[in-house]
Amino acid sequence: MEVYDLRPIIAPVISLVCAAMVFFLGHNKYWRRFWMLSAATLKVIIVMSMLPGSLRGVVYVFPMIEFTPGIGLGFRADALGMFFAVVSSTLWVFTTIYAIGYMKGEGQRVRFFGFFSLCVSTTVGLAFAENLLTFFIFYEMLTICTYPLVIHDETPEAFRAGRKYLVYTLTGGACILIGAVIVFDSTGTLSLGSPGILSTDIPTGTLALIFTLLIAGFAVKAGVMPLHGWLPSAMVAPTPVSALLHAVAVVKAGAFGILRTIYNVFGVDVLQEVGFTMPLAWLAAFTIIVGSLIAVFQDNLKRRLAFSTISQLSYIVLGAALLTPLAATAAIVHIANQAFPKITMFFVAGAIKKKTGKTAVHELAGIGYQMPWTMGAFTVASLSFIGMPLTAGFITKWYLSLGALESGQYWVLAVMVGSSMLNAAYFLPIIYLAFFKAPPGTTMRVSEAAPTLFIPILICAVYVLILGTTAEVVGMPFSLAEAAVHFVFGM
Amino acid sequence: MYTWPHWLPLVVLTPLLGAALTPIVSLRTRHVAPWWALGMMTVTSVAAGMLILRVALEGPFSYLPGGWVRPYGIELRFDEFSASISVICLIGWLAVLYSFRYTEWLREVPKQRIPYYYALLLLNLGGMIGFVVTGDLFNLFVFLEILSLSGYALVAVSGEHIAEMAAFKYLLMGAISSLIVLFSVGILFGITGSLNMADVASRLGDTGSVAPAALALGMLTVGFMVKAALFPVHIWLPDAHSIAPSPISAVLSGLVVKLGILGMLRLYQIYYTSGIIDLFVLNQILVWLGAISIIMGAFFAVFQDDIKLMLAYSTISNIGYIVMGLGLFTNFSIIGGSVHVFNHAIIKATLFFAAGAMIYRTGYRTLSDLRGIGSSMPLTSIAISIGAISIVGIPPTAGFLCKWYIALGAFEANQPFFGFVLIFGALLIFVYYIRMVNAFYFQAPVRQEVVDATEAPASMLYPTLLLAALCLIMGVLGRIPLAFIEPAVQRLLTPLGG
Amino acid sequence: MLEALWNNVDYVASVVLFCIGLYIIIAKNNLIKKFLGLNIMETAVFAFIIALGVVDDGSPPIMGEGASGPFASPIPHALVLTGIVVAVSTTALALSLIIRIYRQCGTIEADELREME
Repeated sequence: MEVYDLRPIIAPVISLVCAAMVFFLGHNKYWRRFWMLSAATLKVIIVMSMLPGSLRGVVYVFPMIEFTPGIGLGFRADALGMFFAVVSSTLWVFTTIYAIGYMKGEGQRVRFFGFFSLCVSTTVGLAFAENLLTFFIFYEMLTICTYPLVIHDETPEAFRAGRKYLVYTLTGGACILIGAVIVFDSTGTLSLGSPGILSTDIPTGTLALIFTLLIAGFAVKAGVMPLHGWLPSAMVAPTPVSALLHAVAVVKAGAFGILRTIYNVFGVDVLQEVGFTMPLAWLAAFTIIVGSLIAVFQDNLKRRLAFSTISQLSYIVLGAALLTPLAATAAIVHIANQAFPKITMFFVAGAIKKKTGKTAVHELAGIGYQMPWTMGAFTVASLSFIGMPLTAGFITKWYLSLGALESGQYWVLAVMVGSSMLNAAYFLPIIYLAFFKAPPGTTMRVSEAAPTLFIPILICAVYVLILGTTAEVVGMPFSLAEAAVHFVFGM
Repeated sequence: MYTWPHWLPLVVLTPLLGAALTPIVSLRTRHVAPWWALGMMTVTSVAAGMLILRVALEGPFSYLPGGWVRPYGIELRFDEFSASISVICLIGWLAVLYSFRYTEWLREVPKQRIPYYYALLLLNLGGMIGFVVTGDLFNLFVFLEILSLSGYALVAVSGEHIAEMAAFKYLLMGAISSLIVLFSVGILFGITGSLNMADVASRLGDTGSVAPAALALGMLTVGFMVKAALFPVHIWLPDAHSIAPSPISAVLSGLVVKLGILGMLRLYQIYYTSGIIDLFVLNQILVWLGAISIIMGAFFAVFQDDIKLMLAYSTISNIGYIVMGLGLFTNFSIIGGSVHVFNHAIIKATLFFAAGAMIYRTGYRTLSDLRGIGSSMPLTSIAISIGAISIVGIPPTAGFLCKWYIALGAFEANQPFFGFVLIFGALLIFVYYIRMVNAFYFQAPVRQEVVDATEAPASMLYPTLLLAALCLIMGVLGRIPLAFIEPAVQRLLTPLGG
Repeated sequence: MLEALWNNVDYVASVVLFCIGLYIIIAKNNLIKKFLGLNIMETAVFAFIIALGVVDDGSPPIMGEGASGPFASPIPHALVLTGIVVAVSTTALALSLIIRIYRQCGTIEADELREME
């Protein structure tokens, strides 16, 4: 059921207004915080207010603002978009609080928080994009808004990383634009509102070109190897930005784009017929394994997390590429199940850096005594990635394995097991170091980071546990993912 | 009111007569001249508004001066392509306003000579308007010369140390191309016995003299290519456009080069309706030249440190887009090219106005000197950023529509390669944009003048901001120019009797 | 072939003149010489257009007593008159530019000027 509603457009616009206010009134600390928090909170409220309707199967639509006939800005809050919006807007509140604490005493805060808040707006716009063009607009805006965050430190290294980031993502964006042009040329529409707009009447060569262009464009941000190069170097950014880039906005935008391409541009039926997704699945599996392997050898904590992200994101790609309902459920749910543990880890890395100045893994010996709760949260997140039951990661692996069996791709199970082992191989040493390898003379004095850093960590860790134990989390419903799966598979 | 027939001659004569009278009205005090020019442009704009209203409501119409019937008399013809006088009037008006303070600052211009600057500017604008509305081949040449000659002179005004050289180079290239145009107008006259465009179009098919017609087509194309600064005859453009005073750069880069394009469109109308020559070969040549222009212009732009030089090279790149759109010769691509004639004018004027304001306030014109200007001239920096985003073609800005439609046209014409060229060119320009934003916002200032700079005076700042706003609005309201251009393109693509 | 050329010798001559002018612009180094080349091109075009108006055994197109056809076409004359006006203004502008270049740089040789840039 489709209902015309203002909320799909109000959600991005109101955050946009708040972001503008940060730029104009941001020189005063309190105004800045007020507008930032209101940007994040208002977004959550609006998104959440649509949730009950979405669960009943209502799709909120805002009619298209046409630039020229056939193309324009359109907004549509379907189940898949709602899921992404719910995850990102919830996390945003925590990230904002964390960022306020983290950025104390850093320079250029107006610019930082202004662009930070702009990303809120673009991400929710991305989630609610009704057509490929709108999606592309917000996708590019996200690139542009995150660039000032990446180069925030204005060091030569930061500029280099920023340049690399832009080269990768803009080239990807260009591929998407060309893909969109070909889609429009072949079908006369760019709508993402139906389960697939392409049909097999179009020559296979053209379909292959579209698939390659769109997937390659989105895979850049999703960090699928070999297009992941920007991600580790973007680690020079401040930690809240890394959390933003790696857990919430940027990489998820790429993964979400891949989901949209597979489910809403091509449609499951068409892809099953032409079979383009198997190479993608292989690539994703390769990324899962190799990303983890590289992570094992990283000593810088944030770099280790970056490669872990690259590996984890490909779960989503793999789930989407398997083209079965259960695998699709895994892919969609993993948007949340990867975001919460990973953001917890980045928060922890940032809190440690802020508190002790340590950034390398080998320096972390005994840190568990000093910051037990923080490292406890880190442990929970690690267990989730390893795939322990009762944590969020388990749900993904379970459904993904079921989906693999359903599609007859048994090798995926091997990938799952291998990935779990590798995850254990690079996360458990950190925990071991933190709790059991205290250097001599370590006292048991507990001193956690400031509450603005500490509380978001704890909340996110709790979420990880909740996501793993119950399917009916408040504001993070499993059924929403199922609704999305039902829609795209026509069930 | 809008049906009053004399709006059409008025729109041409006002700026031309105004130009002639400028030195006289400012005999007593030179301060009259800017206001006079502004007044003339206001009248012209009103007339243009009436004409556009009429063409929107009634379709194309003609004016026959002195009542001489076609083909004996001369004809002024106003069709949808002529609606581009709207953007000529808009940017012309703003350029006059912008010049109020800018001319006072030009070192090389003695103060008492400033009225002549306005006379030349009005002459240039009048020539452009005449070029767009004339229905007569010879008058096409005359107006082309009016606008070119005033353009050469205006380039020399700036007083940069190589201004005269740039102007002379421009003059040589421009004069040769004008002569080529005149030569081929002669050929067309020789084989058809007529100078009226519509008449030539209807007679050309019957003459059967294919070889001279083809020669004329080739020469006219080359002539207009030079005016439009398409690769490989672009060499005059970078110096001339970067050295001219900033309001003039905006006019030259935004409008004057477009007249070469409009000339080509007129040519297509004549030849396509007569059907005497298959335009396929010419189209292929144009597409390739357009593609090379896109890449080459963008490539050179990326490595410039001087902002205005970069903008000049990006003009070459954008002309490449337009020509590629025409050369692909599908419905979508021609629409894209024609829309970009409007939109690029607005975007380029924004960029040159903003760059001019920075140069005006600081005296520096290179990125390395202008570092950190984002905090001292925030509004101007925002305007230039919007312009740059537009020129890259990120939706929903004005530059996007053209790229969208031309890319669509490339796929429609089964030449997807050019779609990729287009996007690659945009990416290259984006690199420059990033360099610029880095310099303006993220790097520490190196010059005291930049730190001390304040926003430009109102007569420079507001035109810039208005145009920057238009860059955004035209992207969202893309259907307005489209409504004008679509019927015209339809007519262009329908051969006579077909 | 040769006969066709001979029959149209006026056109051929103007094309040759046009090319000579173009050659001078490209080959000569002195700005004034370049400019003379442009003037030659202009003349070539004017000659061509005048030649278009000629009608065999035509009389001047002047109405009045004793005027009888066929008349030569008057339009080319009108065109060329306008063209000459344009050419004169081009010349004036170019010469003034050359004077200013000479004052500033002390030379009007293109290669020396290029070095100065």
